[in-house]
Amino acid sequence: MKVGAFFPPAKRERGSFRHLGHLKRLGPYVRQYAWVLSVSVGGLLVTRFFDAIVPQFMRTAIDSLVEPDTPSNVLWPAVGILGVVAVRFGIYVWARRLLRRVSISVSYDLRRRLFDHIQYQGAAFFNRYGTGDLMSRAVNDVGMVQRVVSFGWVTIVMFFFSIGTGLYFMIGMSPALTAWVVLPMPLVAIAGFVMARGMFPYFRAQQEAQAAIASFTQENLNGIRTIQAAAQEDEEIRRFREVSTVFADKVYRATRYAASMKLMMPFLSMISIVVVLFYGGTLVQRGEITVGTFSAFFAYLAMVTGSVSSIGMSVQMFTSAAAGTQRIFELLDSEPEIVETSAEDLPQEIRGDLEFRGLSYRYPEAARSALEGIDLHVSSGETIAFLGRVGSGKSTLLRAVVRLVDTPAGRVFLDGRDVCDYPLHRLREVVTLVPQDPFLFSATLRANLSYDDPSRSDEQIWEAAEAAGLAQTIRELSEGLDTVVGERGITLSGGQRQRATLARGLIREAPVLLMDDCFSSVDTATEELILSGLERMREGKTTLLISHRVSTARHANRIFVLDEGRVLESGTHEELLALGGYYADLEAVQRNQDQDRARKDRLVRNLQDSQEREEPAQRGEPAVASTES
Amino acid sequence: MSEAALVPPAKNYSAFDADLTHKALNVRLFVRLLGWMKPYRFTLISSMALVVVAAASSVMMPVITGRVIIDMVLLPNPQSADLPDYGLIAATRFLAELFSVEMLTAAVFLYVGLVIVQTLLRYAHQLTLASAALKGLRDLRVDLFTALERKPASFFDHVAVGRLMTRVTNDVGALFDLLSGFGMLAGEFVPFFLAVFLMLHLSSQLTGMLMFVVPVAAVGTYIFRVAMRQIFRLVRNSVSALNQYMQEDLMGIEIVQLSGREAMNSQAYGELNSENRRQQFRAVDYEVVFETFNTSLGSIATALIVWYGGGQVVQNEISLGSMVLFTQLIGMMVTPVIAVGQQFNSLFRSMASGERIFQALDWKETLHEPAHPVVLPERLEGDVELRNVSFSYAVGGPVLKDVSFKIAPGEKLAIVGPTGSGKSTVIRLLVRFYDIEDKTIFIDGIDVNDILSRDLRKRVGVVLQDFHVFSGSVLDNITLNNPAISRERAEWAAEVVHADRFIRELPEGYDSILAERGQNLSQGQRQLLAFARVLAADPEILVLDEATANIDTATELIIQDALHRLTEGRTSIIIAHRLQTIQECDRVLVLHHGVVEELGTHDELIAHGGIYHTLHELQFQDDEVTASLKGEAVEDGEGQPPKPPKASPSAEDDPWVPGVEPIA
Repeated sequence: MKVGAFFPPAKRERGSFRHLGHLKRLGPYVRQYAWVLSVSVGGLLVTRFFDAIVPQFMRTAIDSLVEPDTPSNVLWPAVGILGVVAVRFGIYVWARRLLRRVSISVSYDLRRRLFDHIQYQGAAFFNRYGTGDLMSRAVNDVGMVQRVVSFGWVTIVMFFFSIGTGLYFMIGMSPALTAWVVLPMPLVAIAGFVMARGMFPYFRAQQEAQAAIASFTQENLNGIRTIQAAAQEDEEIRRFREVSTVFADKVYRATRYAASMKLMMPFLSMISIVVVLFYGGTLVQRGEITVGTFSAFFAYLAMVTGSVSSIGMSVQMFTSAAAGTQRIFELLDSEPEIVETSAEDLPQEIRGDLEFRGLSYRYPEAARSALEGIDLHVSSGETIAFLGRVGSGKSTLLRAVVRLVDTPAGRVFLDGRDVCDYPLHRLREVVTLVPQDPFLFSATLRANLSYDDPSRSDEQIWEAAEAAGLAQTIRELSEGLDTVVGERGITLSGGQRQRATLARGLIREAPVLLMDDCFSSVDTATEELILSGLERMREGKTTLLISHRVSTARHANRIFVLDEGRVLESGTHEELLALGGYYADLEAVQRNQDQDRARKDRLVRNLQDSQEREEPAQRGEPAVASTES
Repeated sequence: MSEAALVPPAKNYSAFDADLTHKALNVRLFVRLLGWMKPYRFTLISSMALVVVAAASSVMMPVITGRVIIDMVLLPNPQSADLPDYGLIAATRFLAELFSVEMLTAAVFLYVGLVIVQTLLRYAHQLTLASAALKGLRDLRVDLFTALERKPASFFDHVAVGRLMTRVTNDVGALFDLLSGFGMLAGEFVPFFLAVFLMLHLSSQLTGMLMFVVPVAAVGTYIFRVAMRQIFRLVRNSVSALNQYMQEDLMGIEIVQLSGREAMNSQAYGELNSENRRQQFRAVDYEVVFETFNTSLGSIATALIVWYGGGQVVQNEISLGSMVLFTQLIGMMVTPVIAVGQQFNSLFRSMASGERIFQALDWKETLHEPAHPVVLPERLEGDVELRNVSFSYAVGGPVLKDVSFKIAPGEKLAIVGPTGSGKSTVIRLLVRFYDIEDKTIFIDGIDVNDILSRDLRKRVGVVLQDFHVFSGSVLDNITLNNPAISRERAEWAAEVVHADRFIRELPEGYDSILAERGQNLSQGQRQLLAFARVLAADPEILVLDEATANIDTATELIIQDALHRLTEGRTSIIIAHRLQTIQECDRVLVLHHGVVEELGTHDELIAHGGIYHTLHELQFQDDEVTASLKGEAVEDGEGQPPKPPKASPSAEDDPWVPGVEPIA
C-alpha cells in the first residue's frame, strides 16, 4: 500500500509519431462517409476562403481613405463584409453539422461493432480484459476517436489551407514582403510539432496521478470499516495527502511544460511581425505598397500564426486517438476462441446421454492441465456428483460440456454426437449450466428468472422459483416478481441470489442440467429441501452437480472425485465409503465436526504431513495455507 | 447524548444522490472556495497582478501599429498628436533619439519589447496561478477526504462509495477548471476594459455602436443555455444508459452466453446506441449554430467599423490609424464575451461541483466522543459487559432489545442465531461503529462512551466477514500501514495463524503486491491474512464474524486451527457459523429477533432443548444424523484416524497461475 504502488516508475519515453499509424485502422469506418466528409471539409475550406476575403475589403476601404483627394469607398466594403459573414454563416453551420454528425456516426458504428464482437468472446478474453478495462475502451477510447474525426484532422487540413490562402493573398499583394514573412514559418511549425511530441509523457504522468487518486479513494472508502476498526484513519489521511501532492506536482509540471512551450510561440511568430512592421513599413514609406496592404498583411499574418499555434493541440489529439484506436482494435482483432461449426442431421430430441472420451484441457498460459484424460459416461436420466478441491478441474469439466472453454473436438459427446457439432445456441439450450457466481442483472426478478426467454409465463416462473426454494422469498417482497434486484435494485443475500440463479437455470427444463457448486451459501436444511424437490422434477433427465458437501453428493447415483484433472475415485456413496479413500476421509472430517480438540489437531497434522511427503516441491507453485507445526 | 443516541437523527441521505444543477451564480460558494486559497494568497494575488499588466501591455501593441506606425510614420500627412497614445509616441521619439535611429525602427523595437514583456508576464501568471490553485485544491481535497474518513458507519450505510468518489476526484477537478477559468477570464477582461476605454477615447460614437455586440452575445448565450439544458440532460441520460447496459452485460457475460441472449442483447444495446446518436445529433445541431454565431460577431463588428468608422475618417473625426486600431481592438472586445459564453456551462458545472463538495464537508454526522476521555491502562483485563443494550438503525425497527451479558477475561463466547437476529450489530456496537446509550457497554468496567473511539478500537480487534484486501504488499495488508507494527511482528503474526507458508511462496514473499480486492488470493488465504492482521495489532479483545462461504475441508481445518491460536488467551466474541467454532468457545449465546434467548455451554443448551437445540438439529446435525443412520457412531473415531487425502492441498486454487479457473 505504499504510495509508490500507485505510481509505476515513469517511463521517460521519447515522443514519437510512429504510433499515428494505428489510425489507419479507422479507414473502413470513415470511408463509408467519404462523400459526406469531403463535402463538409470542402464547405469548411470555402468558409476559410471567405475569412480571407474580409481583409481584402478592409484594404480597399483603407486605401480609399488614405488619399484625401479620391472619393471614399466604405459602404460597399462594409456591405461586402456583411455579405461574406452571412454566406459564411450558412455554409459553416451546414458543413460543421455534417462533420460532427459523421464523427458521432463513426463512434456509433465502432461501439456497435465492439459490443457485438465482445458478446461472442470466450473466457480467455474476459480473463485478459476486465470489465473496467473494456468499458474504458468502449467509452473513453471511442470518445477520443470521435473527437479526432470531428476536430483533429480538420484542424490539420485547415492549417495547411489557411497558410495556403494567407500566402496566396500575401503574394498577390507583395511577393517580396511575403518571402520575408514565410522565412520563419518552418521554425514555428517545427516548434509546434516538438511541443506536441514532448507533451505526451507529461500528460500521461498527469493522467496516471489522477488515476492514483481515484483508486486510492475508492479502495479506502470501500475498506473504510477495516480502516476505522484498526484506527488507522490518520495514517490513511497522511498517505492521501502524499498521493494528492504527487498529483498537484504532476499537473504543475505538465502546465509548466505547456506554458514554456507556449512561451516559444510568440517569440517565433514575432520574427514575422517584426519583418512586416519594419520591412513593410519601409516599403510603405518608399511608396511600394499602400497602407491598406500593410494592414491586410497584418490580418493574414494573424490568420497564419493563429492556426500554427493550434496545430500543437491537434497533434496531441491525434496522439491520444491513435492510442485509443490501437486499444479498440486490439479487442476487435481477437477472434472468438470458440469456432462455430455445425453438422447436419443432429438429433431433434435430446435424451441427455453424455460421454467424455479422453478429455484433456489446459487453459492458455496455465502451467498444468486442468483436465487430464477424463473418460466417463453418463447415461440419460442419471444424477452425477463431482467432488474435489478447488482447482481439481470440476468446473472446467462442466464448462467443457457447454463449450464455455474451447472444448477440443471429438472428446465430449451428447447423445452420441460431438458437442462441437452442435450450434452453440442449440447446445446451450439443451444443456443448462448454473454457474458458481450468483450474478443477477439490474432488472426485475421476473426478467432475471426468464432471462433466456422473456416471453415465459408467470406459471413457469413460479414453478422454477418454487423448485429453487425461492418462492417464499419472492412472496415476502412487497413487489413480488416485479422487484428490481441487482446493482441498482434491492440487495438479496448470498443464499437468495444463489437460489435465484438456480431458478433461472431450472426454468429451462433442459435435458441436461449442470450445477456448479450452487449451494455454497444455502444452508444445509434448505439445500436438502431443494435437492429432494429436484429429484422429482428432474426425473428421467440428466443432472451433473459439483459440491463440497458429502451430504449433497450422497443424493447422486454416482460420485466422482477429481484431483489434478483426473478421476481419483468413482462409485456410489456406499462404494466410496467402503473404498476408504479421499471421499471417505472427507466424509469422516465433515461428520466429525463436533470432535474434540485433540482429534482435530491430529487431522490437521495428518493433512500437513501428507502434503510434505507426497508433494515435496510443488513446481514452485504457491501452496494454499498450511500448518507449520 | 443519550437522547440523541436513542433516536438516530433522520437524515436525508438522498441529498447525496440528487443531481445538483445551478441556475444562479453562487458568490458565497466562490468566496468560501477562496478560503482554501488563503495560504497561497500572495501567489494568487501576484498572479492576478501579472495578468493585468500583461493584458495592459497587449492592448498597447495595436496602439503602436495604429497610432505610432500608421498615424505618425506611414501616413503622408501625420495626424494631430492630441489623440490618446498612452505616451507611446513620446517613448518612440525618446528611443529614436537615444539610439539615433528612425522613428519606424524605434517603434519596432518598442513593439518587440512589449511582446517580450507580455509573454514573460503571461508565463509567470500561468505558473503562479497553477501553483496556487493546485496547492489550495490539494488542501481542499485532503480536507474532504479527512471529513469522509471520519464519518461513522451509519453514513457509509446510506451513501454509495461511487457518489463520494465523484466528489473527491471529478468535483475537485472541476473546481480547478473553475479557478483557472477565472484566471483566464481575468486575462480576457482586463484587455476588454482597456480596449473599451481606449475605443471610447478614440470615438465614443463608434464605440457606442459597437457595444451592441455585448448584449447580442449575452442574449444569444442565454437562449442557447435555456434551449440546451434539456437536450444536454437527455444526452447525459442516454450516455449513462448506454454504458450501464454494457457494463452489466459484461459483468454477466457468462449468463448472457449460457442463456443464448447474445443477439437479443446486441439488439437492445443497438437501440440504446441509436437513441444516444439521435440525442447527440440534436445537441450538435444547436451547438453548431451557437458556435458559428459567436465567431461571426467579430466580422459583423468589423463591417460596422469600416462603414461607420470610415465615414468618420472622411469627416476627419477620427484618424485612419484610429480606425485600424478599432479593427484590432474589436477582437479584444469580442473574445471575452465569447469566452464567457463558452465558459458558462463549465462555470455552472463547477458551481454544482463546489456545492457537492461543501455538502460533504458540511455533513454533520459524527460519533459522539467523550469530552473527558478515560485514559486506558497499558493492558486491559478484557472483561466485557453489555447491560440492557437496545439499538435500532436509522431505518427499520429495533434490532437489539435489552441485550445483557458478561464475558470474563479470556473467555470465548459464540453468538449464534438466524439471519437478521442482530448478531452483526453486536459486533458493530462493540467497536463503536454506531452511537449507543451511556452506561450500556462496559470494558473492564469502563463505559465505552467514556473512551475515545480511536483508543477503543486499538484494544478491540475485529475481523469482519468480508475481509478487505488493499492493493499493496502483503506486509502492508497485515500492518495496515501502522508504523507501530514492525516487520518482525507482522511476520510473527502471519506465522502463528499459518499464513506464513503461503506468503513465503509468493514471488516476493511479504513484499508481493496484492491486486485490488485481493483477487489473486483464495478465500482461505484471505481469511488467514485477516487473522494475521488482527493478531499483529494485538488487541486485548477480539470480535470476529466467521466467513460463511464453503471452503474445501482441508483449508477449513487449517483455518480452524488458526482461529484457535488467534483466540488463545484473548477475550473473544465470535459470530459462529460452524459447529467446530462453536465448540471451541466456552459459552454460546443464542440471539433471536434481537433478544438473548439462551446463554450457556454447548452441552447445557443441547440439554435445554430450546432454540439452540433446534438450530443444531437443522444446521449442524445433518451429517451426524446420516452417519448414525448408517450405524457409524459419531464418537467412534479413536481407532481409525482419518487418512490424509491422496494429494496435497497445495495444488489447490493456484491463484498466481493466470487462467487456471477463469471467471470464478
